[in-house]
Amino acid sequence: MTKSTFERYGGFGSISKVVSSFYDKVLDSPELSKYFENIDMRRQIDHQTKFIASLMGGPASYSNQELERAHARFTITRAEFDEMMELLQETLEDFDLNDEDVNEVVQNFNNRVNFVVRH
Amino acid sequence: MSEAAATELDTPAVPVAFPEESLGDLLRDLETGVAVVTVADWRIVFENGRFFKWCPPNGDTDAPLDSRLNEFRADRARDRIKGNRSYRQDFELRDGARSTFLEITMRGFDGGDEFAVVECRDMTAQKRAEFMLESYSEVAERNTRELQKEKDRVERLLLNIMPRSVYEEMKDYGTVTPQRYDNATILLLDFVDFTEMAVSREPGELVAELNDIFSAFDRIVEMFGCERIKTMGDGYMCVSGLPETSPDHAADMARVALRLRRYLDRRNAAHTRTWNCRIGIATGSVIGSIVGIQKYVYDIFGPGVNLAARMESMSESMQITVSTETYDLLRDDFIMEERGTHTVKGFGEKELYYLEGEKERTTIRRENRM
Repeated sequence: MTKSTFERYGGFGSISKVVSSFYDKVLDSPELSKYFENIDMRRQIDHQTKFIASLMGGPASYSNQELERAHARFTITRAEFDEMMELLQETLEDFDLNDEDVNEVVQNFNNRVNFVVRH
Repeated sequence: MSEAAATELDTPAVPVAFPEESLGDLLRDLETGVAVVTVADWRIVFENGRFFKWCPPNGDTDAPLDSRLNEFRADRARDRIKGNRSYRQDFELRDGARSTFLEITMRGFDGGDEFAVVECRDMTAQKRAEFMLESYSEVAERNTRELQKEKDRVERLLLNIMPRSVYEEMKDYGTVTPQRYDNATILLLDFVDFTEMAVSREPGELVAELNDIFSAFDRIVEMFGCERIKTMGDGYMCVSGLPETSPDHAADMARVALRLRRYLDRRNAAHTRTWNCRIGIATGSVIGSIVGIQKYVYDIFGPGVNLAARMESMSESMQITVSTETYDLLRDDFIMEERGTHTVKGFGEKELYYLEGEKERTTIRRENRM
């Protein structure tokens, strides 16, 4: 069986640093942080951990329906979605994932745009 | 190493005096919040910059500590300090989407209980790691549970095609050694006129009924500690005395046979379509083994199996035909009827018997034993 990106980069031990860094970037982003106001840290972290793990083939996965339901109460714009994608790409680059892996993860993210962005 | 450096090592450097007047600045610049308060009314005597930033007064700069900490348990803190113990409490600061987790520790200053030293540490990184681990273990545990469920499902499937002990051996060693069992009793059953039933009836309905009957058979076989080996079309094969040897293999198999027949009798009385079986039982040696690599099954071979097949084909509708070897093991406890001497292909002349029932006293003995 081929190993997932998640496993190849050291499993949760290493990926937790990616999660942590991504979490900081998102909360520092003026466009994105507003979505996390009034949400306690436990839930924010839970969200980011599962988000990164599922994108990288770790032990969490979101179905498109779950994704749609989770974002239904927000009106997320394409620009905000792109900002999130940008931050994701930066984070992965910071952790020296090779280009191919970065592209794959970012592509996975991009493929789900229709379940997150409101039309 | 240069001479100068060597000399420096030999003679301890004269300590540079730390300017005591700078201690205040040092405290102010610490990454930890520090304050000194009165225990009686929580008045703040000293605080450094970090403490002021984390626990700012609401307007009034002289506000006491208890008004600056949300949900501060003042009485408990005072009791602890008076008891010469330390007090610890966690606080959360909220700034937009961000949270800062603070841990405050208080203890009496210099062992007394007039003043207390308050230290305030940023525990956000640790909390973040804790939450992340919590979240991760939750998904990991869910995956483990799902994996276990899948494993159980596979195990159940495999237990349908092989006895448990064989399955355990296969699981532990990856292979199963063929075993020879000298004392096994084999039962074979098929249905009279099944071929005609198969062409004259709706196939789904026929299979559903057959499935019903075989499922009931499986339960009976299991009840007596015997093993169902396989079904072949309308044929049904089970065995007693393997993989675990049993001194009662013949009697157990006879009891199974009587109950299979009784089940069909009762079923036939309640249904429009009748299913009549032929049963043959033989005792002999068999070899049990897993056969096949990808599509493997547990199967048995040997003279015992061949003889049972002959007994079955020589049996009559709703009769249980038994060979000499099995008869010898059953005659004390079961009611048997002689069928006379018959030529059995591959086995020569044999005395055959019909198994009619179990003698009353054995039933009693068996019940007492149970």
